[in-house]
Order: sequence, then C-alpha cells, then structure tokens
Amino acid sequence: LPLVFRLDRVPRFARVPSKAAENNIPMELIAERLNRISPSLTIAMTSKARALKAAGRDVIGLAAGEPDFDTPDNVKQAAVRAIMSGETKYTDVAGTLPLRKAVAEKFRRDSGIDYKPEEIIISTGGKQVIFNAMLATLNQGDEAIIPTPCWVSYPDIVSLADGKPVLIPCEQNNGFRLRAEALEAAITARTKWFILNNPCNPTGAAYSAEDLRPICDVLLRHPDVWIFADDIYEKLAYDGFKPATIVEVEPRLKDRTITMNGCSKAYAMTGWRIGFCGGPAQLIKAMDKLQSQSTSNTSSVSQAAAIEALTGQQESIREMAEVYRQRRDLVVEMLNAAPGITCHKPEGAFYVFPAIYGCIGKTSRGGAKITDDESFTVALLEEEGVAAVHGAAFVYPGHFRISYATSTEALREACTRIQRFCQGLR
Amino acid sequence: MDAAASASPGFSQRLQRVQVAATVAMTTKARAMRALGIDVIALTIGEPDFATPRHAIEAGYQAALAGQTKYPPQDGLPVLKQAVQKKFARENGLDFALDQIMVGNGGKQVIFDALMATVDEGDEVVVPAPYWGAYPLMTKLLGAKPVFVNCPQNNGFKLRPEDLDAAITPRTKWVILNFPNNPTGAACTREEMAALGEVMLRHPHVWIMSDDMYEHLLYEGEYVTMAQAEPRLRDRTLTISGVSKTYAMTGWRIGFCGGPQPLIRAMVNMQGQATAGVSSVGQAAAAAALEGPQEVVAECVAAYRRRRDLVLTALQAAPGISCHKPQGAFYVYPNVAGCLGKTTPAGTRIDSDQDFTLALLEEKHVAVVHGGAFGMSPYLRISYATNDAALAEACKRIVEFCTSLS
Repeated sequence: LPLVFRLDRVPRFARVPSKAAENNIPMELIAERLNRISPSLTIAMTSKARALKAAGRDVIGLAAGEPDFDTPDNVKQAAVRAIMSGETKYTDVAGTLPLRKAVAEKFRRDSGIDYKPEEIIISTGGKQVIFNAMLATLNQGDEAIIPTPCWVSYPDIVSLADGKPVLIPCEQNNGFRLRAEALEAAITARTKWFILNNPCNPTGAAYSAEDLRPICDVLLRHPDVWIFADDIYEKLAYDGFKPATIVEVEPRLKDRTITMNGCSKAYAMTGWRIGFCGGPAQLIKAMDKLQSQSTSNTSSVSQAAAIEALTGQQESIREMAEVYRQRRDLVVEMLNAAPGITCHKPEGAFYVFPAIYGCIGKTSRGGAKITDDESFTVALLEEEGVAAVHGAAFVYPGHFRISYATSTEALREACTRIQRFCQGLR
Repeated sequence: MDAAASASPGFSQRLQRVQVAATVAMTTKARAMRALGIDVIALTIGEPDFATPRHAIEAGYQAALAGQTKYPPQDGLPVLKQAVQKKFARENGLDFALDQIMVGNGGKQVIFDALMATVDEGDEVVVPAPYWGAYPLMTKLLGAKPVFVNCPQNNGFKLRPEDLDAAITPRTKWVILNFPNNPTGAACTREEMAALGEVMLRHPHVWIMSDDMYEHLLYEGEYVTMAQAEPRLRDRTLTISGVSKTYAMTGWRIGFCGGPQPLIRAMVNMQGQATAGVSSVGQAAAAAALEGPQEVVAECVAAYRRRRDLVLTALQAAPGISCHKPQGAFYVYPNVAGCLGKTTPAGTRIDSDQDFTLALLEEKHVAVVHGGAFGMSPYLRISYATNDAALAEACKRIVEFCTSLS
C-alpha cells in the first residue's frame, strides 16, 4: 500500500496543474480562486473515450456517474402536469413549501429525523448544497476533513471557498471505511467541517448505524466541528444493508449537521437538478441568502417532479437496486478473476474501486508500460476499448473506478476485456 | 428550536457582506399580509404574468416523457446552444462559435459565474445606479468592490460617457451595463451605446458585461447591445440574455451568454463546481422558445406598453410624485421627493422612500420596492408585469395615499 501513504504526505493541490493552465485561460483574466480547482480527470477520460468512439472504435463506457435507468413514469407525468398547469414561475429561493414538506416527510420516514420546512433548502443538485454550505461558512485557513477516496468536488469546493481540505486515506483492507481514530487524529482547532459520503463515490463503501457509532462518539468530543452528511446514494445499498445517517445515529449532533440528499441517484433524475438538505435553521437561512445571489430557485418544473418522486410509489427504487446488486456481484466476481486486480465488494452506490497493484510495473500486449493507475486506464481504453476512471481522479491512486450503471451485457463484455487485458500483461 | 436560537457554525466573512434582497423582503411581507386575509396588490416582482409559450411547453413535456432527463453537459445541451447561437446572429448580429456560448441556471447564475471566475479581492466592478441589487451584492460576496456611477433622472436615467470614464481605475475589472434597465426602464440608442463604447476603447484592461435580459421589452427605438454597437469591444464583452423575461419563463431557470472563449471556459469551470448543468427539461423548452414563432413576444410587448402608459397616466394624478417615462423593461421608477416630510392619515411621517413603501403597504395594501434598494432615492420601483385591473386598482390606491398625505 505504499501509494496510499505517500498520498497522505503530498499536498495534492501543490502538484496538479491548475484548471486554468490546462485550458489555456489567460492568467490576467481569471480570479486566483479558479487556479485552485483541479483539472477534471473524469472529463479528460470521457473525452478520450468519445474521440475513440467517433473514430469508429467499439468503446464500452464505464465512466459515467449516473443511473442508466429512466426517470420513473409517475415522476415524468407529474412534471407534465406542472408544465401544463403553469407552474413555470419563480418559486421561493429555498424551494416550494410543498416540496420542502415532502422532503421533511422523507427525512422522517427514512431516517426518523424531524426537520421543519424552514430547516430545509432545495438546490440545483446536491452539488449546490455543498457549494452553499462551504461558501457560507469557510474562511481562509478553515479546514474540512474529507475521507478519501472521495468525489473530487469536495476538496475543490472547499478550496474555492478559501478552506483547506484535510484528506484521510481509508484503506481497502478496511473496506474503504474511515476509522474513528483516524478522524480523531485529523481534527484540529481549525477544523470546521467533516464531510462523510455514505454510501461513497467512488468506493461504494457504506456505514450502518453500528459503523457510525464510533465516528459519532469522536464528533461528540469535538463540539466545534460541523458535519456534512452526503447521503445521495442512500437508496442504493444491497443485501439488506441499511446505510445510516449521522443525526439518525446521534440526535445530539443534529444542531451541527447538514443532512444532504437528492433525487438524482435514487430516482434516476440527474438531469432534473434537485438536491436538498436539512439542517439548523440559521445555517439554512445563510445558504438561502447565498443561493438568492447565485442562482435563485432551481427549476419549478423539476421541483414538482421531485414531490412526486418523494411521495409517490417507491417500488422503482427496489427494482433498480435489485438490478444494481446483480451487476455488482457480476463485476466483482469477474474482476477478481483478472490477474493483478483485487476488487472489494462494496455495500452500495453503483461503483466498484478495484486495486491494480498487481499490474503495476508490467507491460501490456500493445507495449504500454503500466506505471500507475492512469497508464493502466489509458492502455485499457486504447487496447480494449473500455473506459473507466483512474483512482487519482478520486485522490486515491493505485485503483480505478468502474460504474456499473450500465447494461448487464455491456458489463459482462467489459469485464471479459479487462480480464484479457490483465492476462496479457507481462 | 426556532430560527433565531438555532446553532450556527460561524459564518464566512463573505456571507456577512450579503443581505436579503429588498425585493424579496417586500414580497415576503406582502405574502404574509395576504395570508392574514388582507387584499394586498404586490407590484414588487420582476416576473411576467404571461404563460410560457405553447411550443415551449410542448417541448418541455416531450423532453420529460422522452427521457431527456440525464446530466446535461455543464455548458448546456447542444440543441439549446445552437438555438442561442442563432438567436445572437439573428437578433443581435453577433456571431459566436458554440464554445463561446454557455447556459446557466438563470441569467443570475451567468453573472455569478462570470464574476466568480474573474474577480479577486480588491478588484473593482463599475455598476451604474440605479441598479439591480444582485450586481453589487455578488461583487461584494466575492470580495471585490462595486463602484457606483449615478445615472440621474434628468438624463433619463442613462449613463453619461464622462461619468463612466471617471469611474474607471487601474483596478477596474468589469463594467456592467443593463439597458433596458431594471429598475428604471431606461434604454440606450445606438449613438448613446457607441459613445459608451468610445470610453471603453480607451480602457483596454476593462471587461464589459452587457446584461440584456430585457432586450425585447422595448417600446421605443431599436435595441442595440454593446458588442454590436462597438465591434472592437467584442473580444472583451460578455453578452448575457435569457428566456425568463422575453418568453415569460422565469421558473424554468434558463439564462445564457456569448463571449470570448477563454472567459466562457473559465465560467464553465466555475459553474461545474457550483451546480453543474441546468435542468435538461428546461433547456429543451428554452430551445423551443428561441426557435419557435416569435409573435408571442410582440403580443406581450404590446400589453406591457399599454400597461406602462396606464400607470404613467394614473400616477400623474398623485400629488408629490413625478414619473419619468421609461423606454423599456416592465418597471416605472417614480420620484417621491414631493411626499417627503409629510404625514399619513395613520400618523406615519414619511422621511424616506422606504418609509413611503412601508406606509403604503400598511395603509393602502400596495407593495412596491423603495429606490434605496436600487441605489437611488427617493424613488419607488413599480413592476407593471401584472394584469390591467390590478394595476389600475393599485394606482388608484397610490393616488389616494399621496392625496391623503398632509
């Protein structure tokens, strides 16, 4: 595991080329803060795959972070009704009252947490909830603790808001879960936020109520630390695993926790752009104020659709989850049969995050030297037409991410190709 | 636990530089009174009362039913970007490549993206006053400094080239132009725009943000945007518009812009961190609005012109008020200097435009926004984007209110 430990010491933001430099944006035009965003490695991979596809190559894309299912029909119909009945005007910046009530009901029903409508805000995707929370609270030098592997937007948004991301690597041999002692060790007097993504993108690792208990105990000992619980993949957990959320496990943390969720993953509604959260009224009010100056409300039509998603039939979630489970099992089994790869079987989300340590130092059939996770995914794409994202894109080299939100046949073919690729390594 | 008593993480300094928009505060107050059963007429909101055009509605629901509900590209769906490209060519004589165009969650986000991608602590943004409150608030939020230039009533609330020139310093990053203007309705002729362009040519380090959200709501003369009036400024001008005001599509949240590609790239990077893409269904509807028949726009414009004239005529009977006749948008910005120092029948003394709006709401149940919220007092902003009957009744109450002052 040497890669993991090295990462702990190397400040990632010092060594990556800035987004601005990557895009040839003149320095005198842009704000200093733009230099703090790292280049999107996911997008780089996606464009490479697109170019190969355009050139006529048979490429299987496993890079996307969105469900391949369609938005459920009842939700679409609700949107059509909203459109036809003229729900096309500005709404309250924080979202319509009926939607905030539906969200309150969702938190009560799923997690036993009581939020009043004024403790809830609706935003343009879960991403904006994070953006609002960080911009509303972080000053220069404030720290936000982020377990890695992580969705790269967390450190980027923290940096944009003048904060300092503090990264804690979570090893595969612990199921990519955060150890309470590692959290305890990372907290300093400057710690403002602890961000926990459960289930996690990109590892699929999830925390039950029991798993969260020791983490909550650490947080109880540090009353100045606020908690951002990103539960966007909550509904995507398998084999009866129930991901818990912080406030559900420890109600005494409620007055310093943001509980975030949304419609994108659970209801296959990525394009509708609906994220939301519950939290202490004062912080919600601050986030509302920020949102009123950056975007105002999210689409009124999408808000109407979200009400139906949250309050209508929930059967489609179970159907999707069952399909995801079968795909996960298929992918984990096939990847573990590929020489040099070890793939942990995660509890949730729709990703696996296999390690490729056994492949490093070898050479592919096409003559590519596999020196790290990036050269692995590039060679895999060029030689076998399989597009995945390398671990560095999630601040965790030595692995790659596969999204199994694609058809079972495509997955089987992709895994066969990965096996062939690994067998060809010398 | 109530809002005041709830815990707070300690807010960022940037947040403390921002307050809730007066427009929102007044609207909320009016809504609260209405909830108590009081017959309040709200003329506070800049929102068309018309319905979204038929063809846009159809495109929206067809997109929803057809499953166009996946993450859209962060810079906008190709179908909308192409429609925007054609719109700029057709209506503004501006040619943009597709990578010089982006889509945001309303015009507001486009402005936010541009400022957030470009301004640092200490940079200056020139904002002609009266202004839409979002310009200075966003500027301050991002650590930069708004520099105001007065556009006096005796110049038709227009920006004078010499005043613009005097406001520019070596730290100026942007000049924001918004004609037709919110809140005054003032618009610029081609000559006036060209004269402002002359000034900008002398300051090559300054970028121009032309917020053209009200470009179609013009009742006199021909619309011209800066990049069109002065093509030599195109490589440092961001031209912003949207479907909210033109097509009565506020709730769909679609704004867009065209500008130099490096700036657009930086803005897309920034938006990628804030919200990512914009509602795919909304984008499909917006594309249809731009590509479809444009007669609906002319119909709305005719209705707004009629309402503007209705309000202007009615307010002539209000003692103490003098109202400039605006060329565009859907606002009038009457001066209430003649009412200051007087007292209402309920005994409230009117010492400012804010006193005026609060008393008018309390005593006559008409909600308007005070000029101070737009950087110039003592004025009122009255939105006439509401039906004729409500407007006539509201004006009648304003006249009664002014007449009753002693």
